[in-house]
Amino acid sequence: MEKVQLETLTGVIDKKMNRQLKQYIDICARCAICKDACHQYVGTGDFKYLPARRAELIRQIYKRYFDKAGRFMPALYEAREPDDNLLDELYDSTYACTGCRRCMYYCPFSIDTAWILSVAKAILIAAGRGNEMLGQLADAAIFKGDNAAMFEGVMLSGFDDISEEVRAITGDPEHRVHVNKEGADVLYVALAGAHSIRPAAVIFEEAGENWTISMFEAANYGFFYGDTEKARLITKRYIDEAKRLGVKEIVVPECGHAYRVAEFFYEAWSKEPMPFKVTHILEKVDDYIKSGRITVDKGLIEGKVTYHDPCQLGRNGGKFEQPRDIVKAVTDNFVDLTPNRAEQWCCGGGGGIVAMEEFKDVRLKSGAKKVEQLKASGASVLACPCENCRLQIEELNEVHELGMEIWQVIDLVVAAMPLPGNQKGAEATE
Amino acid sequence: METYLWITSVWGVYLGIAVFVLGMGLRIYQWATTPKSPVRLGMFPKPATKSGRFFKMLKDTLIAPHSAKIEPKMWIFAMIFHVAALAAFVGHLRILGEYPILPELLGGEHAMNTFAAYAGSIAGTLMLVGVIFWIVRRTFGPYKNLSVPEDYLLLFLLFGVIIMGDHLRFVYGGFIHADTYQEWFRSLLAFKPMFPEKLLSGNVGWSLGTHMLFTDLFLIYFPFSKLVHTIGSFAANYVRSE
Repeated sequence: MEKVQLETLTGVIDKKMNRQLKQYIDICARCAICKDACHQYVGTGDFKYLPARRAELIRQIYKRYFDKAGRFMPALYEAREPDDNLLDELYDSTYACTGCRRCMYYCPFSIDTAWILSVAKAILIAAGRGNEMLGQLADAAIFKGDNAAMFEGVMLSGFDDISEEVRAITGDPEHRVHVNKEGADVLYVALAGAHSIRPAAVIFEEAGENWTISMFEAANYGFFYGDTEKARLITKRYIDEAKRLGVKEIVVPECGHAYRVAEFFYEAWSKEPMPFKVTHILEKVDDYIKSGRITVDKGLIEGKVTYHDPCQLGRNGGKFEQPRDIVKAVTDNFVDLTPNRAEQWCCGGGGGIVAMEEFKDVRLKSGAKKVEQLKASGASVLACPCENCRLQIEELNEVHELGMEIWQVIDLVVAAMPLPGNQKGAEATE
Repeated sequence: METYLWITSVWGVYLGIAVFVLGMGLRIYQWATTPKSPVRLGMFPKPATKSGRFFKMLKDTLIAPHSAKIEPKMWIFAMIFHVAALAAFVGHLRILGEYPILPELLGGEHAMNTFAAYAGSIAGTLMLVGVIFWIVRRTFGPYKNLSVPEDYLLLFLLFGVIIMGDHLRFVYGGFIHADTYQEWFRSLLAFKPMFPEKLLSGNVGWSLGTHMLFTDLFLIYFPFSKLVHTIGSFAANYVRSE
């Protein structure tokens, strides 16, 4: 490897190094307890997806250049330079990882493999090997932030159409999607697509919330790509918007990583305290139901309902009960998956992997555990509050002919609300 | 034999302890002076209070309940090894000085030695079982693929320490007790190294010397190996709840 490139790559490790990374690299005993925790390793049996192996590649470079013992006796640690072989394997094992951190949950030392892989992504990007698709999606989002005016017309007309649909559902001629509303209490940062806005708008309007919609989407491909600067710029789009509108609270949609980015990462990236309260939409909805601001009827949802904890919302976001309480409020026929909550299996669709065609085979195989869980539950309806999880599970549903209905939780809520134009079921497969 | 003993059980011990203490100090210094991760890396569920997080950290580190759930077999053997190692360590403290009260409670010096013989035999055997399990586990499948020479070196050194410790216990345990080793070890601490006659007569010196040779190498390598998890695991498990 050329000296200049080598220096660039080791420079990345140097820049990214912090106490936790150092400890993770130093203490891993390679006991391989993590192997049975990883849905990808379990689903494929491929050694490169064993969590400790993924981290081991970074450790090998670290030992070779940053650790005295590793430099003195590289063979003892299998320390080596980041050559093409290493980078090829690193690309596969890193970009395939969904960042679910189930391995961390079971690790006796709580080693955060996903955090080690954030360094791996930075190395791959520096080596010109970052995933192209994720990089392009991130750049497109940043472009939209820099040229917001260019997109405004299309956005506004889209919001008008959704407002029509909202009125048709609620029957209230005043109801609409609020745009650019200064002095609103809540800024709802949705995902791209009406499906993420329509049910939320129905709920906000019915609850009498003082809300407005963001012109930007909450999804953050910069985060998946592994470039914290890109990820920061993408998040900053709606932070600036929230500042301009003077809102008190940012509500993120049914999306796992969007919540984690806003609640746990943005402060570290921007080096400034988050000026707003960050709430996941299901926390809001749970509160509306419990405080009586919206009414839901049990019995409108047919069949046995189960719930999938998206990793970024559950294990990594701490929202286990609110979504369950919502589902239990709309049906008496609820069954949990086994295992659940912090031990929930990753569906296999996180970390941006659904956007990367090259990992399709691994992705579908890694859904084996989820399919097993869904079958064992005996449920016919799945409530699933994460777009990536839903895309993955919908595909698993098709491939394995599970015959389940896969719903957003807010769609279930709207379907259970006694409203004149309720289109129960219409949103389920959108 | 005396030269062998001087190398392994005097100078080797000094070197081993010095490298171990300085090496671990350096490792902890490096951890402490590297800036903390800017991102909160905790996962849920996590206790709301600081003391709650502290106790969870202790539980996660000392009992590893999650690991027990996912791979009970590995957990049982790891527990057997670690608990036995702790017991063996506590037993070895007798070479610094006799425990207070305990011999009286047990009914005198002879009873104390008998108790130590039983406890040491059990601990030594269990440690051996743990290490053999780990060695076998690293000979096949993903465990083998994941292993690097460091893993085998450490297991080899541990195996050496334990097998020679057991050898001392089972072969010479009947007539050489803690007081003899105490004489030798306390002379090291006083920097006036000497070997009691009992250790120089017969072949026990060779056994002790080999036990100490493995121990010295183990101590020297310890700070530069993954064994720093003895300390690092507490810190890493605390981060889990942050």
